[in-house]
Amino acid sequence: MLEEDQEIFITKGMVRADFDFWVGLVMDKFYDGLQEKKFIGTKCSKCGKVFLPPRNRCGDCFVKAEEFVDLPETGILKNFTVTTYKITERKIRKVKKDIMVGLVQVDGADTAMLVPIVNTNPDNLKEGMKVSVVWAKKLKGDPQDIAGFEPVGDG
Amino acid sequence: MDKVGIVGYYQVKPGLDIMMSPYEMIFEAVRGALDYADLKRKDLTTVISATNDYYDGKTISNCFKVEAGGAYMKDESKVEMDGAHAAMYGLFRILSGNHKLAMIYGISTPSCYQYESVRVLENDPTFDRPINLLNSYTSGGMQMRAYMKAFGISEEDIAKVAVYNLKNAAKNPLALPEAKKADITIDEVLKSDILSTPLRELMYPMKCDGATAMILAPERQALKITDNPVWIIGVGNVNETYYLGDRDLSVSLSMEMAAGKAYEMAGIKDPKSEIDVAEVFGHTACEDLIIAEAAGLTDKGKGISMVDRGNLNPSGGTMAGYTPCANGLTRIVEAAKQLRNEAEGHQINGAKMAIATGQVGFCAQNNVIYVLERGGN
Repeated sequence: MLEEDQEIFITKGMVRADFDFWVGLVMDKFYDGLQEKKFIGTKCSKCGKVFLPPRNRCGDCFVKAEEFVDLPETGILKNFTVTTYKITERKIRKVKKDIMVGLVQVDGADTAMLVPIVNTNPDNLKEGMKVSVVWAKKLKGDPQDIAGFEPVGDG
Repeated sequence: MDKVGIVGYYQVKPGLDIMMSPYEMIFEAVRGALDYADLKRKDLTTVISATNDYYDGKTISNCFKVEAGGAYMKDESKVEMDGAHAAMYGLFRILSGNHKLAMIYGISTPSCYQYESVRVLENDPTFDRPINLLNSYTSGGMQMRAYMKAFGISEEDIAKVAVYNLKNAAKNPLALPEAKKADITIDEVLKSDILSTPLRELMYPMKCDGATAMILAPERQALKITDNPVWIIGVGNVNETYYLGDRDLSVSLSMEMAAGKAYEMAGIKDPKSEIDVAEVFGHTACEDLIIAEAAGLTDKGKGISMVDRGNLNPSGGTMAGYTPCANGLTRIVEAAKQLRNEAEGHQINGAKMAIATGQVGFCAQNNVIYVLERGGN
């Protein structure tokens, strides 16, 4: 057992290893679409389900879902949460401004994607409200091109 | 399925910072389980662990645990999931007919890493990781909102579950000391810090260092070891999609299907009346209800009734201390203790049939359930 004044030694890891991810052909197309302010989903060749973000297969039918579908910039807020904590931090720390997180189902898609909700305040959020994409000022062809979704009209 | 017996177990008392190395904890758990069952290390034929390379900060995280886990020069493997999944792997080893005694353990030491940050590394690296919005707080918040909306549940109802769990923890000698809250009130829970709306700090389990070990044996072998083993008579496991945006978060379809399989195997027709006690692994007080409902213990949206009856998580569940990689295994051990009348301070009288669950992934993506029956007298 430890004595009261005994010191505990904690060692630090000493390796840094970066890792790249090959996103795949379907996500590559999706990334390219973002740079042109377009949402590109995929459609299951059997059940017709439309995925956004896209996947190259339907897990249920287990067939290819490689038909690309252009989707609009509007959708429905299916679910949301507002967090007061940073998503990733070596120490969990509070944020200065609350982060609004939404699950948005873009019109014509059958799945919802996790996106920031912007240009409103947490009290205005409600499930089922209409939202529209806000693109980042500088487009780079990656998921951060989606600055967020904002309420449309009175929601 | 042939009966498989739970013949021994041991839980290292959890702590926010236990000040033991993982290897010291594993040795205490494994040695403790062997001693409890009056067995020797040489009796073990296989050792299966649940650990996580990211949580351990090293790859092939089991390679350095061989001696501590009792696996020196033995058949050994691990699962990078929950302890309840390691138990399933051990169960299959036993059912193969090739093994007479399986040691299962799960361990993690979140005092050494930022659990919430590390969980972000579970995310889809092509979208959710770069967009950086998904962690245990935000997924728990959205799941709670979905459940409340689907069934007309209030924040007070979820706070009531948290109070129930924390009060149960106060009666559990192996609960995290900081989680033992005999005098907690609904009001205190509702006034605790918001993690991610509507999820609050006191509805969310404290992460702590801990290790749990359990020993499985085939029926004949089990009866040589003890007069009152706990029998595993049913098991089910189903994995659903990773994508939260594909799923109805107010329910757990994968647990519902897994429970269906396990009950069929166990010959359980009506879980509501036949299951005396349940130990379920939820990531939040709300998820405890979703899992209990999916396991058929109550109708959907009525999980709160189990709190009134008092047969859900008598140990306090994960709210009594959330030990990554060991949670599901601890639930099985707690259920087994109930069936052996060993649950000191939190015993449900006359419990004969129990379920225990484990899971892995955001909003309980992958669920496993065990049906356990009291053996012997």
